[in-house]
Amino acid sequence: MSVVTLWLLNILLDTFGQLSFKAAAAEPHPHEGLARWKAMARRPWIWCGIGCYIGEFLVWLAFLSLVPLSEGVLLGSINIVAVMIAGRILFNEKFSPLRTVGILLIAAGVAVVGLG
Amino acid sequence: MSMRRFYLIGFLVLVCFDTFAQICFKLTANHAMPPEANLAWVIRVMSSPWVYGAIACYVGAFVSWMTLLRHAPIGPAFAASHLEVISVMALSVVLFGERIDAPQLIGSALIIAGIVCLAVSETNAEHAPT
Repeated sequence: MSVVTLWLLNILLDTFGQLSFKAAAAEPHPHEGLARWKAMARRPWIWCGIGCYIGEFLVWLAFLSLVPLSEGVLLGSINIVAVMIAGRILFNEKFSPLRTVGILLIAAGVAVVGLG
Repeated sequence: MSMRRFYLIGFLVLVCFDTFAQICFKLTANHAMPPEANLAWVIRVMSSPWVYGAIACYVGAFVSWMTLLRHAPIGPAFAASHLEVISVMALSVVLFGERIDAPQLIGSALIIAGIVCLAVSETNAEHAPT
């Protein structure tokens, strides 16, 4: 698999994993403590998140086999952007002007590293 | 222990766990070379001692993150958990002899500025009336 495929796969798995955990936590559960965890374990979201994270673990290892670590962590910063955009679309999270600036700066930085 | 000192130590612990997790990931990747989409590669990964270091650091980072969030504002915690790019880059040069060229320097400056903006915006959102 190419570096770009692994990078895209990492973004996809990370975003989907984080959103799954958010969905698991956001579902209304009547109980607290252990009962709440049991209720979450009966629903698919938490398992979906764990599955994504295991996949991401392997994809990230394969990605780091192909790029230097210093470049890898910089390119991986795009996950912050992807999760925030997905959160805005799916959970209606608001973007303040400063948040928009932060997202654009990170995206620009990743582009400079990736294309450089 | 003063609150200030608690935050400082907490953030440092978090950055250390995140940094060493990435170092362990790179060492695991090197150990399991070449990367292949098959079981043989997964077995090579799991037979590397470094992969267990990475998992241990992840657990450590998770626990310190949860402990910090119980007391500390989310903005600085967010920044601390992502500013490990700086320490990872520095250690990559020392441990793996990687070169940091102009694109990486400019890119990392932009990314770090972006992370700081997000951290400040999280802090502001927390103080704003809802």
